[in-house]
Amino acid sequence: MDQKPPKNYLVESILVTILCCLPFGIAGIVFASQVNSKFAVGDYEGAIASSKSAKKWMTWGLVSGVIVIVLYLVFIFALGGLALFGLSNN
Amino acid sequence: MKLKYIGMLIVGILLAFLYFYINPSNVNYFPKCPLYVTTGIYCPGCGSQRATYELLHFHFIGVLKQNILYIIGILILAYHLVISFLNTVFHKNIYNYIYHPKTPWIILIIILVFWILRNLPFYPFNLLAPH
Repeated sequence: MDQKPPKNYLVESILVTILCCLPFGIAGIVFASQVNSKFAVGDYEGAIASSKSAKKWMTWGLVSGVIVIVLYLVFIFALGGLALFGLSNN
Repeated sequence: MKLKYIGMLIVGILLAFLYFYINPSNVNYFPKCPLYVTTGIYCPGCGSQRATYELLHFHFIGVLKQNILYIIGILILAYHLVISFLNTVFHKNIYNYIYHPKTPWIILIIILVFWILRNLPFYPFNLLAPH
């Protein structure tokens, strides 16, 4: 057990859970637990596979968060633009 | 790799300025929680934007009122950064509990219990909802 454990993305997944995207963050936390438990029993290959899954979920959480925020802003500014357009027509 | 960290730092500073000068409670163009808007159920992250605003003004009671889990998340992040910093920069070998097999499960249970409790509409659990 001289090897270092692969990155488990636990902290990143917690932040994703709290700051934007609950389902992705929870999936990330579950895979983070797999990284830790597999590494603890010496399954280094399995731990690396779980680490990759954790990273994937965490990244999708971030990406979907950014997409939702951008869509939201587009929607809000489109509404604001429509409101302005309506006012100028009156 | 370095570019990534510089980019994250710039985004972080921009967001800090945004959430320092604009109180999310007073404006309606900040994104709202999709779960809360569609179902009226608070998710474990509800109140985080307001909590960020309170934290940047050092109103710690305000942070706790919005989202207790937010403080826990910040503390875990700080713990992880400090341990990683000491281990890499000073070549220490401090055990990081983030890599303990039980840690993720404990955190998952805390999140799920917090999620249920903050949706109970009576005292004292309603204190866990953003207010």
